[in-house]
Amino acid sequence: MDKAAEQLTDLLATDLDDGFTELVRVHAKGVHAFLLRVSGSAAEADDLGQDTFLRAYTALRTYAPERRRALRPRAWLMTIAANVWRNHVRSSTRRPVSAIRVDDAQDKWPDVNPGPAERALNADDRGRLVAALSELPEFYRIPVVLRHVVGMSYAEVAQVQGCPVGTAKAQVSRAMGDLRRLLGTEEELREVTP
Amino acid sequence: MNGRKDHDGPPASQNGGGPAGELGTPPVPVDFALRVLRRVGIPRERYDTYVRMDSPAGGLFVAFTPESVTGSAPATSGLTSERFEESHRARTGRSAIPAVKPFPGLTTALRTGRARKLPLDPGPVDEVTAAVLQAVRAIPAGQLRPLSWIAREASSVSGGNTDALLGVLARNPFVVLVPCHRVTYENGAPCDAAYLPGVGDALRAAEGIDMAGVRQWSHSGAVFLGSDTTHIYCHPTCAHARRITAPHRVPFATARDAHRAGYRACKSCRPVSV
Repeated sequence: MDKAAEQLTDLLATDLDDGFTELVRVHAKGVHAFLLRVSGSAAEADDLGQDTFLRAYTALRTYAPERRRALRPRAWLMTIAANVWRNHVRSSTRRPVSAIRVDDAQDKWPDVNPGPAERALNADDRGRLVAALSELPEFYRIPVVLRHVVGMSYAEVAQVQGCPVGTAKAQVSRAMGDLRRLLGTEEELREVTP
Repeated sequence: MNGRKDHDGPPASQNGGGPAGELGTPPVPVDFALRVLRRVGIPRERYDTYVRMDSPAGGLFVAFTPESVTGSAPATSGLTSERFEESHRARTGRSAIPAVKPFPGLTTALRTGRARKLPLDPGPVDEVTAAVLQAVRAIPAGQLRPLSWIAREASSVSGGNTDALLGVLARNPFVVLVPCHRVTYENGAPCDAAYLPGVGDALRAAEGIDMAGVRQWSHSGAVFLGSDTTHIYCHPTCAHARRITAPHRVPFATARDAHRAGYRACKSCRPVSV
């Protein structure tokens, strides 16, 4: 565990409100990015992100200081976010509100200084990737987003998924294979219908 | 970490773009973290918020509580918002959360260069630092003051030690808001202790300070400017000195010379008097 994460857990153990503020400051972006990529909707990512942190805070209040110190904040938060997302999918399939699963919200994002990775991919490629991502089954989507959008290690992904590291690697690999296949078929279709 | 062979860091991204993988990191709404904290119900006094403002010298991060401004740093020189958050945390022990709405009066203060009425809270600092920052804040927009002037204004605590003074200016926690770009050495050269090269010049140019004129003035050996109609002498950038017409300008090298010639010190810019 690196030094910053250690300081964070120390802070959580000694002063919950201060530590939680730091937790939000450091990890809000990651949680939002994860939820945005799995849900495909900026509005949903916002709501679910708030739920995630609310649940994290409620849980932290009941934890003893030693347990807070032993936390691995990022993996723990992503576990909560993944659960919040799964619960949301379950309840929305039971009580469907609208048939649209992905609103193509990435066109509406306020353009705040795109990073090199953002610029490297043109908007069309990204749109197709996001669309392909939304076609993946949910149990593949979560590990691949954790690994390749949030940038977690396989050990952390495994912790979030509650499975061995090898399983996590396999899930990510299969998801990447599926993504390639999804994008590949589209390519062929395009060639047929120019 | 466990003992298994595993990639420890973020995945080596295929397009070489750092931790953001193939799908890129989508932009997050600026005030997302702030809304989370509000929703969870963390008391507002437990954290600071900050905004990125535009100043004549480029971007400027300004952190504040509802009552006062607690720090500022230029967004140039590769200081990203993450680095600013970390340095703010290290200096004040408080988290800075990005916000959309700036502190009341901050936009006007930056536009006009008049930040004197803005409530600043430097946190727990020794009284020398507090006195020096207070003295520097008293320099009006568009004017310059030498280090000795700051030392004299803050003399009740600093004892007129200019070395300690420079150290305090270099650690200025309120860049631009405490205008240390208006402080010069005794020879009139600006001592931009807290700024990168070029930043101080940009700020002075935005305030309309004529640095070429100041350099010419100091090369001639004169330090004060008097008016032979009022028999008052000023710092040359004082508002009262700038309106003396050319035929009535009387330069002085020392306060003693001015005193001998029957001049008194300006009560507005308070130059040294005998």
